Amino acid sequence: MTQHTVTSFEDELQALSRSIGEMGGRAEQIVERSIVALLRSDMTLAHEVIEADKKVDALHRQIEEDAIIVIARRQPMAQDLRETVAAIRIANDLERVGDLGKNIAKRAVVIQHESFSNKLRVGVEHLSELALRQVKKVLDAYAARDVVKAEEVCAHDEEIDAVYTSLFRELLTYMMEDPRNITMCTHLLFCAKNIERIGDHATNIAETVYYLITGEQWEGPRQSSTRIDE
Amino acid sequence: MTVTSASVPTPRVANAAMGAEGLKEKISIRDLDFYYGETRALKSISVPLYMHKVTAFIGPSGCGKSTLLRVLNRMYDLYPGQRADGHVRLDDTDILAPSQDLNLLRAKVGMVFQKPTPFPMTIYENIAFGIRLYERLPKSELDDRVKHCLERAALWDEVKDKLDANGLSLSGGQQQRLCIARTVAVRPEVILFDEPCSALDPISTSKIEELIDELKHEYTICIVTHNMQQAARVSDYTAFMYLGEMVEFDETSKIFTSPRDNRTQDYITGRFG
Amino acid sequence: MAIYDTRRRRNHLAIGLAYAATAFGLTWLVLILAVLLWKGFSGLNLAVFTEMTPPPGSAGGLLNPIIGSLVMTFIAVLIGTPLGILAGTYMAEYGRYDKLTMVVRFINDILLSAPSIVIGLFIYEVMVAQMGHFSGWAGSVALAVIVVPVVVRTTEDMLSLLPDTMREAAASIGLPRSLMIQKVAYRAARAGMITGVLLAVARISGETAPLLFTALNNQFWSTNMNAPVSSLPVVIFQFALSPYEDWQQLAWTGALLITMAVLALSIGARILSSRGKTS
Repeated sequence: MTQHTVTSFEDELQALSRSIGEMGGRAEQIVERSIVALLRSDMTLAHEVIEADKKVDALHRQIEEDAIIVIARRQPMAQDLRETVAAIRIANDLERVGDLGKNIAKRAVVIQHESFSNKLRVGVEHLSELALRQVKKVLDAYAARDVVKAEEVCAHDEEIDAVYTSLFRELLTYMMEDPRNITMCTHLLFCAKNIERIGDHATNIAETVYYLITGEQWEGPRQSSTRIDE
Repeated sequence: MTVTSASVPTPRVANAAMGAEGLKEKISIRDLDFYYGETRALKSISVPLYMHKVTAFIGPSGCGKSTLLRVLNRMYDLYPGQRADGHVRLDDTDILAPSQDLNLLRAKVGMVFQKPTPFPMTIYENIAFGIRLYERLPKSELDDRVKHCLERAALWDEVKDKLDANGLSLSGGQQQRLCIARTVAVRPEVILFDEPCSALDPISTSKIEELIDELKHEYTICIVTHNMQQAARVSDYTAFMYLGEMVEFDETSKIFTSPRDNRTQDYITGRFG
Repeated sequence: MAIYDTRRRRNHLAIGLAYAATAFGLTWLVLILAVLLWKGFSGLNLAVFTEMTPPPGSAGGLLNPIIGSLVMTFIAVLIGTPLGILAGTYMAEYGRYDKLTMVVRFINDILLSAPSIVIGLFIYEVMVAQMGHFSGWAGSVALAVIVVPVVVRTTEDMLSLLPDTMREAAASIGLPRSLMIQKVAYRAARAGMITGVLLAVARISGETAPLLFTALNNQFWSTNMNAPVSSLPVVIFQFALSPYEDWQQLAWTGALLITMAVLALSIGARILSSRGKTS
């Protein structure tokens, strides 16, 4: 695409894009490491994650500020307007992702001395793998402005919800079997919920990327198949 | 994606009853060509101008937007060597027909120009002059009409004590509003604005934009502007022109958030190369 | 810096020359006016305005030439101004892009500087010879022929100066062209057009040659335009060349009168056009 006649405008938009990329990378890292910290009871890692979230929050504030200044100064239109608005929305979602990861790390610290069964471990691993894949894919979609990847992320949201539901049932079973498991399982439940929410945020970001590229809202099916009555 | 037919909504027949969206075409332009001597300045332009809506024409210098505007009231007829071919209908009259009475047409289709040009008369006379062309009114009624026109142009409060002052003694923004009042005085159906605010300061500009917003309830408005933000603020429909062609026509909100044509996108984001 | 210095020196030289030329021109102007005032003023008295031209050797005034000049000038303006304005209007408005306008403009410019004696001879052939005698009418017509090109020129120029946006603004409310010209264009160009007429009057007040062949001269009081009529320029011509002192004095006074009249008209024209600019 041709350059803006005013190059500083071009630079400002690209800076926004890069900031989102950086924020996304950090958020992804937080999620990855928090899961490892949880599953391996690695406390150093957990504390690193909790620290790392501060940087993500700072990036969020900065991106918002920069985007608002672009709107005030440049009166962006069309593509540029969508870029700016997308940056704000995605930064919001990424900040939540960072917080959720931090929450997982905190809970990892709490249950560090507990051991969990293999079945649970596999379940959490599977769920987190799916979520991480979504996050990676959507960040790629944003960086490359790839609408196909964004659509794929939107479509796979149901998969995570399904895995979460089954993990939920398992944890309930565990808690019913042995009341001593309740503390650990409750924390794991929250962690699982957090991971599922991370997946949802990835889908949100995908919808924003879709809007950014096409100018239209994502109309595809986005029902949550998370059932809470079982 | 190129040009006209793909980007223009299916033209409605001028006399059709209100469509589903409640839109009626006040002026319909189909396959309009315009020539300055041998040079073809407008190429097969087709665009609808909907009643009681504001339609903006935007585009880089020389794209033909002012030319198009001046076809609508046949202002080009004042000069030799300029001609228009095609179909332009105001309701059900063919504007381009040689039998069209130009003075009556111009009373129905008024125009406000870039440079405010009040007549060399008093403020009162500027407005009464136009009224007297078409109606014979007793003094009291004439006074009321003049007052009404000045109120419509948001100028009454500022000039009510100096109606005898020369029109040229007003500030730029006031002169432009006087010209708008003068245009409104002859009871047109369509008002054309040719870059009405380019010679004005920001506050006068805002006043006139506010005025356009109010006027559209009674008249059909067409505005040519090189200020895109103004087009975005003021219009309901926007047409982007380039090198004499109609590139894209759509609702303003669509054009400025997600235009379909790359050229439109490049122009409104300032990437124009 | 050398280039700058050379330029500055040349600038000073040019300015110096300009001042010198102005001084030169002004000096002659001042001299002429001074002599005129000096010689003419001493003969200025009430009698000049109340008594008729005397035979040589007796006292008298300039009443009949003054009246004659006034009447012929007035009639000349009456004939010439409408013609000039209408022609100028056609050239500036209706026929702006016509070939005819170009031709008319060309001929008009020639007429503008046509020798007035040629005009006088022409009217002599056309009117005096046909009618068989000199007359005030012939004199007026000759003067009118001088008035017309001036008025045509100024009218066309003043109307052409008006911006086209004004015409378009008038057209945009449906004003037909004729009304636009009458009510808008004339009103806007009014000051300039009147100036043109005043300048034409100033021009013809001093024309002698055309009157020599048409109105001739008349020593006595006469209100018959069908006969020779007296006029100031001709009387000055006659009296100045004579050997009689009182006639010569009257000639100077007459010259002063004409000069004062032209001065007044020019000042009037200047005031009008400056008022036209500020409104």
